[in-house]
Amino acid sequence: MDDPFAILGLPRSADLGRADVDRAYFAALEAAHPDKVAGGDEAARRRAELAAARINEAYRALRTPVGRLETLCRLGGIDLDSSDPKRGAPMPDTAFLTEMIERREAIEAARRAGAGALEDLRDAVEDEADEAVAQARRALAGGDVAAAARALVRRRYLARLLDEIEEAMS
Amino acid sequence: MSTEHDPGAAPGLFQIEEPDAGAPKRRAAGLGIGIDLGTTHSLVAIAPHGAPPRVLEDEAGRALLPSVVAYVTDPPRVGAEALALQVEHPDRVLSSVKRFMGRAPSDIDEPIPYALGERPGDDGRVVRFDVGGRLVTPAEVSARILEVLVARAETALGAKPDGAVITVPAYFDEAQRKATKDAARIAGIEVYRLLAEPTAAALAYGLDRSEQGVFVVFDLGGGTFDVSVLRLDKGVFQVLATAGDTHLGGDDFDRVLAEHLLRAAKVETPSKHVRAEALAAARAVKHALTTQPVAAATLPRAGLEGFEVTREAFEAMIRPVLGRLRAPARRALADAGVEKDEIDGVVLVGGATRVPAVKRLAERLFGRPPLDDIDPDQVVAQGAAIQADILSGNPREGVTLLDVVPLSLGVETMGGLVETIVPRNAPIPIRARQVFTNYSEEQTGMTIHVVQGEREMAADCRSLARFELSGIPRLPPSMARVEVSFQVDADGLLTVTARELMTGVSQTVEVKPTYGLSDDEVERLVLDSLDHADEDFEARDRAEARVELDRVCTAVRRALAADGDDAALLPPDERRAVAAALEEAAAALGDPARPAGELRRLRERLEAESEPFARRRMERALAERMAGRRVAEVERAVGDAKALDERRGGHHPTMTPPAPATE
Ligand SMILES: Nc1ncnc2c1ncn2[C@@H]1O[C@H](COP(=O)(O)OP(=O)(O)O)[C@@H](O)[C@H]1O
Ligand SMILES: [Mg+2]
Repeated sequence: MDDPFAILGLPRSADLGRADVDRAYFAALEAAHPDKVAGGDEAARRRAELAAARINEAYRALRTPVGRLETLCRLGGIDLDSSDPKRGAPMPDTAFLTEMIERREAIEAARRAGAGALEDLRDAVEDEADEAVAQARRALAGGDVAAAARALVRRRYLARLLDEIEEAMS
Repeated sequence: MSTEHDPGAAPGLFQIEEPDAGAPKRRAAGLGIGIDLGTTHSLVAIAPHGAPPRVLEDEAGRALLPSVVAYVTDPPRVGAEALALQVEHPDRVLSSVKRFMGRAPSDIDEPIPYALGERPGDDGRVVRFDVGGRLVTPAEVSARILEVLVARAETALGAKPDGAVITVPAYFDEAQRKATKDAARIAGIEVYRLLAEPTAAALAYGLDRSEQGVFVVFDLGGGTFDVSVLRLDKGVFQVLATAGDTHLGGDDFDRVLAEHLLRAAKVETPSKHVRAEALAAARAVKHALTTQPVAAATLPRAGLEGFEVTREAFEAMIRPVLGRLRAPARRALADAGVEKDEIDGVVLVGGATRVPAVKRLAERLFGRPPLDDIDPDQVVAQGAAIQADILSGNPREGVTLLDVVPLSLGVETMGGLVETIVPRNAPIPIRARQVFTNYSEEQTGMTIHVVQGEREMAADCRSLARFELSGIPRLPPSMARVEVSFQVDADGLLTVTARELMTGVSQTVEVKPTYGLSDDEVERLVLDSLDHADEDFEARDRAEARVELDRVCTAVRRALAADGDDAALLPPDERRAVAAALEEAAAALGDPARPAGELRRLRERLEAESEPFARRRMERALAERMAGRRVAEVERAVGDAKALDERRGGHHPTMTPPAPATE
């Protein structure tokens, strides 16, 4: 797959903000949007549609901070969406997995304990997910893609846990 | 089938494919039109060469065309004149068909007020209304509405429109969008783009005031509800998220209130006529309650006289319906990642947002008073006209519209689970792909079932298409590689292709829509309507109008000669009116220069004036024939009446089947 940073004309950096990405995205589409060539012939419209699709896909990858970090990992050789043993997402260690299982069970207990308990749990998990993102950012800044990937995998587990907590709250 | 993301596959995905055939067609700048094809009303607007948008009116100065088609005459009537026939012919006057676009009969979880029919090969996938023995699909009905609007635009532009931007609810799924495109093809108008209604509204609104910031568009029409969150920034209109319900609107208020009225009238099993009357009365009361605290309903057929409904009682009745507006509103905000206090403005669109309780709810949901200073009926068509002008080849400086996929698209995997390939609210156009593997060595084929929706199980989502990919090599589990790629174009329409990567054999599979009309059938309907078109359209139109008017004149004269003196059949004042209409019609027939529109109006007037007389004659004739006859003869009499009826242009007062006491 192509390099979304290159498609949007951005440097490969973990320090970009949403505004940087948006600005680059709008600029890229300004030129490539299918509507700009609407009066042209079919082939020109088709080409514009494909170019726009490519820009949109790049934007989708980069519009969130986590998306940017995961993309940097992939460009560094580790794809979190793959289960390939060498190039795919690293397995979290057993201790972490055990902890996740226990916390999932804790949701049930917290629900019975009342709304306040669920909120506390949610806040704690949110903080940990944020911390995992910060770790990944530091690791990438130091050039350690493997460590960044491990942190981002943990974040994915925590995000799923958050969904479950929020479901229990609703 | 199991799934795995494959990082290394398919470098060629973005290679540019040249179009297979056809000389490049250039568009005609300035001849694009914008159409709001609504559940209740439809409109057309133009904004040629950068002009401000202008909504077009009919000869009587009406901008709103009721989305109603009456199959009482041939050709069918459209708009206000069709609506006027609804209580009389509830079976043949079709309204709110947008609710049925792209649906199968089994999808429809509300009482369908029309008889349905089936053609061989439909397999329960297509809704066909049976209007007096003739079967019509929602796409065809919509095509009739589009034709009227296109003709209106042609008059205003002085030339045939080159193409149209047609708006659809943002929350319309794939099948509903496809049906809308089919309707346009049947009507013979090229679709530049299907545009989400709230996006169109934002375009008209934002351009008007050059707004900046985050806006919510809250659109409650007759049958659909959409809520979209957009960001406006220096001419870029970015849809951040959209949510809604395609079965929620002002019509639901009418239904609740109509039931209340029928209960008050102590009618337990209303006939179709009574139901149609109750719905019409309910709507009138609802409209009145928008501006006044109390309104009265009268239902002559149900024997209800001056029954009062307070606004308070109405609001209590519709509370459950109002409750259904909340979840989509919250979901849109959450998906957009926007908090209440970041919203810079709330725009109300759609006639049903005039209901005070709806306004209050919108204010509570978004924490600020909504802006409603632009006519909520016209704003969507205006936005569509702007976009149509751009797409006809007049790019406007600094207007870029970035729209999204409203509902997630995915495929069914082992165990009936959905694997999402394009998540909802992804910007369009977009391409995405996913690599799937085999689960056993025996597996040499794969069924690819494309679904749309947010539920985890495929069975709970909307099925869009199903196709087979065969010829997968025998490989150990998880070794085969099938890449499924989804391409959503700028209209939000999906193309799916699948190919086997291990053998290098790429199979591109054509996706057959699970719902809706086949391409063949659309093609046939297009040809049907082309038969009616002609280079010399005007002359032909005039000639037809003349023949029709002449036919009606002859019929009326004959009836007058036979029974004109019978005051029981034709009271004197009616007779005078009929005679006057007849005289005017005769004068017009003697003048070869009269335009078709006028001839038609004269015919309609004559038909309207003589209709009660014709009905009483037919009723008497039937009563006479049926008295004391055997069943077989009665049937023949009915057959005769039908034939007679057809000659009169399908007018059918007494022959509407007795309303089955259903619902
Ligand atoms: N003054 C009003 N008060 C209450 N409801 C209204 C009013 N005017 C129109 N409506 C309702 O708005 C709905 C139609 O809205 P519209 O935007 O035309 O719908 P659509 O886009 O679905 O065609 C109908 O249910 C109609 O009864
Ligand atoms: Mg509307």
